[in-house]
Amino acid sequence: EELRLSHQWSNNDIRHQVAQMVADEVKAANVDLTIRIFGSKSLFKPREQYRPVSRGQLDMTLIPLSYAGGQQPAYNLTLMPGLVKNHDHAARLSGSPFMKAIEAKMAEDDVIVLVHGYLAGGFAGKDACITKPDDVKGLQMRAAGKSFEQMLAGAGASIASMASSEIYNAMQTGVLNGANTSSSSFVSYRIYEQSKCYTPAADVALWFMYQPLLMNKTTFENLNSEQQAALLAASKKAQAFYLLEAKKEDAASTEVFRKAGVEIAEMTQDDFDQWRALAKETSYKAFVADVPDGQALLDLALAVE
Amino acid sequence: MTLPNKYSEGNQGIQHKFIYAVSWLSTLSGWLAAVMIVAAVVITCQMIFVRSILNLSTIWQTEAVVYLMISATLMGLPYVQLLRGHVNVDLIPILLPAFLRKYLYFLTLVLSVSIVLVMVFYAFEHWHLAYERNWRSDTVWGIKLWIPYLALPVGFFLLLLQLVADFSAVLVGKDTPFGLEDK
Amino acid sequence: MDPLVLGGIVAIMTIVVLFSGVSVALGLLIVSGGFLLAFDGLRSLELLPEIFFGKLDSFALLSIPMFIIMGSSIASTRAGADLYEALERWLTRVPGGLVISNLGACALFAAMSGSSPATCAAIGKMGIPEMRKRGYPDGVAAGSIAAGGTLGILIPPSVTMIVYGIATETSIGRLFLAGVMPGLLLVFLFMAWSLYSTWKSGNKQLLVAGNYSWRERFEILPRVVPFLVIIAGVLYAMYGGVATPSETAAVGALLCLIIAVIIYRLWHPKDLWVVLRDSTRESVMILFIIAAAGVFSYMLSSLYITQSIAEWIGTLDVNRWVLMIAVNIFLLIAGFFLPPVAVILMSAPILLPIITTAGFDPIWFAVVLTINMEIGLISPPVGLNLYVINGIAPDISLKTILMGSLPYVACMILAIVLLCLFPGIATWLPNAVMGASV
Ligand code: NA
Ligand code: NA
Repeated sequence: EELRLSHQWSNNDIRHQVAQMVADEVKAANVDLTIRIFGSKSLFKPREQYRPVSRGQLDMTLIPLSYAGGQQPAYNLTLMPGLVKNHDHAARLSGSPFMKAIEAKMAEDDVIVLVHGYLAGGFAGKDACITKPDDVKGLQMRAAGKSFEQMLAGAGASIASMASSEIYNAMQTGVLNGANTSSSSFVSYRIYEQSKCYTPAADVALWFMYQPLLMNKTTFENLNSEQQAALLAASKKAQAFYLLEAKKEDAASTEVFRKAGVEIAEMTQDDFDQWRALAKETSYKAFVADVPDGQALLDLALAVE
Repeated sequence: MTLPNKYSEGNQGIQHKFIYAVSWLSTLSGWLAAVMIVAAVVITCQMIFVRSILNLSTIWQTEAVVYLMISATLMGLPYVQLLRGHVNVDLIPILLPAFLRKYLYFLTLVLSVSIVLVMVFYAFEHWHLAYERNWRSDTVWGIKLWIPYLALPVGFFLLLLQLVADFSAVLVGKDTPFGLEDK
Repeated sequence: MDPLVLGGIVAIMTIVVLFSGVSVALGLLIVSGGFLLAFDGLRSLELLPEIFFGKLDSFALLSIPMFIIMGSSIASTRAGADLYEALERWLTRVPGGLVISNLGACALFAAMSGSSPATCAAIGKMGIPEMRKRGYPDGVAAGSIAAGGTLGILIPPSVTMIVYGIATETSIGRLFLAGVMPGLLLVFLFMAWSLYSTWKSGNKQLLVAGNYSWRERFEILPRVVPFLVIIAGVLYAMYGGVATPSETAAVGALLCLIIAVIIYRLWHPKDLWVVLRDSTRESVMILFIIAAAGVFSYMLSSLYITQSIAEWIGTLDVNRWVLMIAVNIFLLIAGFFLPPVAVILMSAPILLPIITTAGFDPIWFAVVLTINMEIGLISPPVGLNLYVINGIAPDISLKTILMGSLPYVACMILAIVLLCLFPGIATWLPNAVMGASV
């Protein structure tokens, strides 16, 4: 039996390696199950993968869950400023009642999680460092994620909506003064060529995005018990690998920026607290207003130590 | 409103009326498409102005213009079909004698109508799902997705009508298969 | 079934369906739907509308209708004629001035229009009757404009470069710059041939035709100003930090519409509608093909054909230039039949990995591909530019237009050879302006 997995990442991206690891392990288990990976957007465009999985037309995908935030507004909590403090905290969130509640939402769409994982990101400034809310006042910013846009707007920045592939050109010509996205996107779009200062995810980080490996629930349940066991074992192994690599990713991106001669700034605990206070007034508020059981979900997330 | 095709004129018989009505609909749809393209131009310029001169946020413009362009494409389908503006390669029809050409025309029409029917059917389903579940785009603007998706079933349905009207025009002898002259 | 065998069957079926007279976009949808139904089951059809919609869901594509509006709003005014006349008055002392100024006008117009048919129509409306009046052979008159018009997709802005940039994720700004010098090279080759053929035809008086006073020459200059305003406005928007390259097209389109209405008094709703109708028709035609070709490539990928072909070619051990010649022949043949965007979208996912593993620069390859597509525009059976010329000068037979275009096809092939020998013709400018690519 063959399962089809679609993702948007290139072959050397850790998210591809996670998917590949699951495929390899399942194959090695010899349970008459193979996973065929369609990487680099070769089958579906990034934001078009959730729906086919939820309707069983595609078996598996590895996406930022917030891509489906328009269909399940609760998912927006998986890309919320200041909710995750660092990678270990992220790992604890993945096993918490909060994640159980999110998984219940997925079950409504006939989707289950095989591999949990968070990736972090930071800020790049064209002319100056961005560490605290005051730094973005009056700047044209491009943020990855709705909640971050709301928070930055609250800090007095102007939000320019554009595809991440346009960041490079926009920063080069001065249309943008700064951007906020994942460590790996900063590297793959070569933003270091256009920035003066980089604020990476370090001991304190603001930007965490939940990017799980998802599978259609019915398809999973239709597998025999050996196949299910093999898939779960492979996923467990991949999840440990994912966490380890996610931690390395931030340091690696910092190194790339440093080598390109970009100044590296650090976000202090005080900066973080300022952002979080601002987020509470902007993105958290908007989320709670938008989602019926939003407050309960947010409390669950905030309860995770 | 002037209609671009000579065969869409006239009012004898039900088929002629049908052809006329459909070309009227297609033309209306084409106007709508043109208006949407112009709107996309204007909104993009507005976005550049707001961002670079006023230094304000531009939240909705990028999404709006992309959806306008997609809707313009879909709404433009029947009109461009009416104008015979969709490029085709009529190599095989030219090589065929007239009576075989008629059969080939019929065959390609059946295939075209089938695929367009498939598009109309599943496009409607897709639109309905987005409407029923109140899907929104995952941005701050968060537009209700059934609005841009609406152009999918409507555009393809009008294209379907136009294809059938073109076929009727051949049946009543107002046009020839593939618009080719008899040898 | 082996994906490679399946790929062969898909190729044959695609050719049969596309040659059967059905429109290219619908044909691609028919083939995709048929194979998905046969090999992936009925449920795969459910996704077709979403995929269709998704393929168009890209901001960069928006510049296609906009660059088309730029071309057609200017083409429907007397701007083309003005430009053309100005060049002619200044170039009369140059041997063969008329045909030279026609080609020059084509090149300049190409710098404002993203599409080849629009370029061809704008200059041809004035240029062809004028050349024939002065006694140029019909073949030279029609052929030079048909060929000059193809520059629309090589000299930036270019609709096909945008499509290539999206399909292969290469920088559109870089692609635009890469087209500049090869475009000038082609203009030069076209001019050289036109002069040679006119000289050889023995009509010596053509080479010294017309004579204008300096007063007449300066009189015409103000009428070229709108052009300069548009080009300056677009360049300022693009490099002045005002807009991203994809957004710039909108500035250009609005400028052209405004100039057409105010300066060329295109204010009658009927005239304005003609502009909008023409640009809607061309945009919708191209965007429909883009979406349908996207569905087609989804089908190829879903049936694992794309991946298998790429793997298979990777195992072939051939000289990279043999590979390049094979790719060129494939593109040339595809271009004979299919419109450029369809060729690019259907072949890019398969060709690009092959090209890059063989060590060719994707930016350079875009230029080679575009020149191949230009040849397709003036060759039968689907040559959009031939139809445009046929529309402008219905009394010149298609055969004459075709024969007149042939030598220009030779010029284009020569340009491809030169590009292979000296890749710097394409890559030097983008590297100089935007830094070496990684
Ligand atoms: Na051009
Ligand atoms: Na051709």
